[in-house]
Amino acid sequence: MKAALEARGVTKQFGGLLAVNHVDLLVPESSIFSVIGPNGAGKTTFYNCITGFYTPEKGDVLFYGESLVGLQPDQITYCGIARTYQNIRLFSTMSAIENIMVGEHSRLNANWAEAILRTPRMVREEKQAVEEARRLLNFVGLAGLGDQAARNLPYGAQRRLEIARALASKPKLLLLDEPTAGMNPNETAEMVGFVHRLRDELGITILLIEHDMRMVMGVSDRIAVLDYGEKIAEGSPSEIQNNPRVIEAYLGKPMAE
Amino acid sequence: MKTQIKSSLRAGITFGIVTLFLYLIGFTITVSQIIQNLLKLEPDSLVLGVDALTFSFALFMGGLGFWAGARQVSVSRKGLGSALVAATLSGLVHGLIVALVAYITGTLNASGIKMNTYLSQLLPASVQLFIFNQTPAVGALSQLGFLTFMGFLGGAVSYGITVSNLFGRLAGAWRSLWGRVNDVPVIAKFRASPAFNYTVCGLILLLMILLPLRVGQYWNYTLGTVGIYVLLGLGLNIVVGLAGLLNLGYVAFFAIGAYTVALLTAPAPHGLVWNFWLVLPLGILAATLVGILLVVPVLRMRGDYLAIVTLGFGEIIRILSKSDALTFLTGGPKGVNNVGGPELFGWVFDDVGYLYLIFLSVLLAIFVTRRLQNSRIGRAWESMREDETVSRAMGINVLKHKVLAFAIGAAFAGLGGVLFAARNQFTGPEDHNLMVSINVLSAVIVGGMGSVPGVIAGAFVLKGLPEILRELENYRVLAFATLLVVMMLVRPAGILPASRGKFEIQGGGSTSEPGKEGSQK
Repeated sequence: MKAALEARGVTKQFGGLLAVNHVDLLVPESSIFSVIGPNGAGKTTFYNCITGFYTPEKGDVLFYGESLVGLQPDQITYCGIARTYQNIRLFSTMSAIENIMVGEHSRLNANWAEAILRTPRMVREEKQAVEEARRLLNFVGLAGLGDQAARNLPYGAQRRLEIARALASKPKLLLLDEPTAGMNPNETAEMVGFVHRLRDELGITILLIEHDMRMVMGVSDRIAVLDYGEKIAEGSPSEIQNNPRVIEAYLGKPMAE
Repeated sequence: MKTQIKSSLRAGITFGIVTLFLYLIGFTITVSQIIQNLLKLEPDSLVLGVDALTFSFALFMGGLGFWAGARQVSVSRKGLGSALVAATLSGLVHGLIVALVAYITGTLNASGIKMNTYLSQLLPASVQLFIFNQTPAVGALSQLGFLTFMGFLGGAVSYGITVSNLFGRLAGAWRSLWGRVNDVPVIAKFRASPAFNYTVCGLILLLMILLPLRVGQYWNYTLGTVGIYVLLGLGLNIVVGLAGLLNLGYVAFFAIGAYTVALLTAPAPHGLVWNFWLVLPLGILAATLVGILLVVPVLRMRGDYLAIVTLGFGEIIRILSKSDALTFLTGGPKGVNNVGGPELFGWVFDDVGYLYLIFLSVLLAIFVTRRLQNSRIGRAWESMREDETVSRAMGINVLKHKVLAFAIGAAFAGLGGVLFAARNQFTGPEDHNLMVSINVLSAVIVGGMGSVPGVIAGAFVLKGLPEILRELENYRVLAFATLLVVMMLVRPAGILPASRGKFEIQGGGSTSEPGKEGSQK
């Protein structure tokens, strides 16, 4: 089994605060890997270290064996990593389909001169880009809503649009940051199925931050638990459910007698 | 009931204060003169027993009073009685405030106190007009009665319109007529076919060719100025409207274009009398290069910080061009005279030629803007404007696209500067002050950020209207401010906001193909 992503001793500090402390992680290719932990455990900071928005002070992040540390976020996208956000961050005045087409940016090549002259190659590329965007709209179940401004879409549709935008760069690894935040149990169940489809139909490796335990336990192959920036446990869903340190992190210590 | 009275009082007080403000800045008399001119009344003639100016003034005041009353009806729609009471009450309050000040200023004026020593626009003529050229007491009472009556009248008319839904019916009639016209098979077919777009484009083009030949030198000059502002607006539209980079020093690139052509074609101070057609691309190139150089240090700044740095940059360029130390290079505060102009096969460009050149440049700029906007690059710019962080996560090299936006914006401004200096045969530091940047930015915002038709409309409103309303020259800033406030309230997205292309649904058959969209419209 090949490793898609490997974190080796990743450490990120903000002043005196160790937000991520020496985290090791190995995400196998085509797996669904969840990172859980209480609020403020450093999950999103860890994501930002992978995607290049933060540079870890120590440690290394390897993507199919290549180090990502020191690369800019846009370069990391070119390597094949895409992400979504905990609080939906769409380009709100642009239409849904344009949002997806922005996501396709890294796969298109037209430069400014080609854009002005509309060379045949550029026209062909644009046509394909539109077709691909339509296909992705269908894939996430938003067919017919493509020309709506992103901000006018219902909440669940915005979540799915954000995933479609991330998929548009044809990533090998997709980082989802709490995709079910604010969803009801039905929508959450749908999201579980959707994440499985992403892996099974597109063969994408998925790294997931999630709070909803139903989602985490239903979807993950493997789970890592962060608390105060440190990885306190890793294993299959059932192992994590019975791990005393995880229970302690979430529910607190039993009262001392 | 209580809230209604409160709202009437508030409206009356607001209208009273606004009226007084207009009076204190001398706006009342100016507007009266404009109305008199518009109605083509002879200054000495009598209308309805009063002289022409007083009549015009009464029209203006009556309009204000009418408005104050009419507004109340839309607020309280509870039957004729309460609507009329509300309207009359607000008219009464309006009238009381105006009458009080009219009496005081009238009395002071009658006793020979020159109020224009303190309030420069409060001239005796204006004060006399404000009391309808009567004695202070009679004038004040007339104001009170007149405004109360107009408030009542406004309320009554407005109530009638509201109840009968006159505007709604008119709009409905218009829509059904328009719909019926469009349903005629020939017209419907024509509108849907590409030929319709070509016809519209052809008509506009024909207008652009014929207009300069017909309207005379003054309007050619004015249209040219508007055209150059359209050009500047299109450039700034890319930087601010699409890429979301607030640039307050945009005039710097305009200045660089202007000075390039001036210094290379004028006999003084360098004696380089180069050919205009050679200098034109050089001017654009110089502005572009400076645009790129400027953006490098400010690349990581956003929003306010970028605005302040660019503001400073614009001023630096102006001050440098003005400084004594650089007079040998730039011509100093006096500017550069006898800037050379274009010549084509022996035809020295006159006002018509310049206007054609400006139109051509504007068309080119529109073409480039549309093509870029509907491409990967335009989408990248807009995503940066919406959310720069996410934009980077989408694989967009934000720095590269910022440089590109600045460079293209600067190129348009450079072209504008070249045309401006060559047409005026002069350029100097005061052509390039901060107001140019502010005006262009206002044109972009008023027109609609990111929208090409919007920028054109904005430039006409901000540069063309003042030419038409010459009499209001003194109140230009006031008019701008009012316009901006009204715009933000009524149409916050601009006169002609950017419309989004349709990509998903391929209906209609003609324009939904995104690949074709760029060259049309």
